[in-house]
Amino acid sequence: MAVSKEQVESTLKSKLNPSHLDVIDTSGGCGASYSIEIVSQEFEGKRLLERHRLVNAALAEEMKHIHALSITKAVTPDQWKEQEARKSQQDA
Amino acid sequence: MSFHLQLAARPCSPAAASEASSVTWGSRHRHPICVNSTKLCSAAAISSPLKLASIATKLSSNSSPSSFRCFAALSPELKSTLDNVVTSEKVILFMKGTKDFPQCGFSHTVVQILKNLSVPFETINILENESLRQGLKEYSSWPTFPQLYIDGEFFGGCDITLEAYKSGELQEVLEKAMCS
Repeated sequence: MAVSKEQVESTLKSKLNPSHLDVIDTSGGCGASYSIEIVSQEFEGKRLLERHRLVNAALAEEMKHIHALSITKAVTPDQWKEQEARKSQQDA
Repeated sequence: MSFHLQLAARPCSPAAASEASSVTWGSRHRHPICVNSTKLCSAAAISSPLKLASIATKLSSNSSPSSFRCFAALSPELKSTLDNVVTSEKVILFMKGTKDFPQCGFSHTVVQILKNLSVPFETINILENESLRQGLKEYSSWPTFPQLYIDGEFFGGCDITLEAYKSGELQEVLEKAMCS
């Protein structure tokens, strides 16, 4: 049984209240592989490992059917603003 | 609720478990970065000295299907064995496949990083042993592989290792571990 992108998104939204969330289906259609970029206040004061654990725990039910979950970004709103600012500076 | 509890609460009989795992296995491995090859690597899975090899043998001998327990993948015996394994070397990578023949893109990435940093590390192929594979998920409270252990402590999976490598944190942690 596959997990839909919408399902992953709604679970993360309800459990981690992200200010930015980007879920990309990297499975090529079978729904077993996702790449996630998430910005949440919940991550404040937590190490990367703990942040990933939060995401894993939030998706514990879904993880039974997901083969690969890649968390490419797990940052706080402040870090996110900083990164975006840096990016736009580079683009300019 | 923690992942640990989720795992423990999953109901299944031994028969259903082996059936289910073979079904999931096939469908999961349609993913392009993972090669379907549980059977390919039955020999010489553990690229490590005798010490580790003997632990691995011990692990294998525990893995008969009849002793497969879904309600607690992490038995007290397995836990204490793992306590020994993760502290037996400074850097241990539980992965899919071997150092020289990784069977998953994420495992491959971490192997490449460790090779790039020229740190000595041992690998254990979790595809070889289903009870080890399930037990480790609970032991590390981490749902996927690879799992990297440095100095007896869980460091992270592929994403974390990659990010720490880019930021230089991994190099620091490894250096500290090598000196300790």
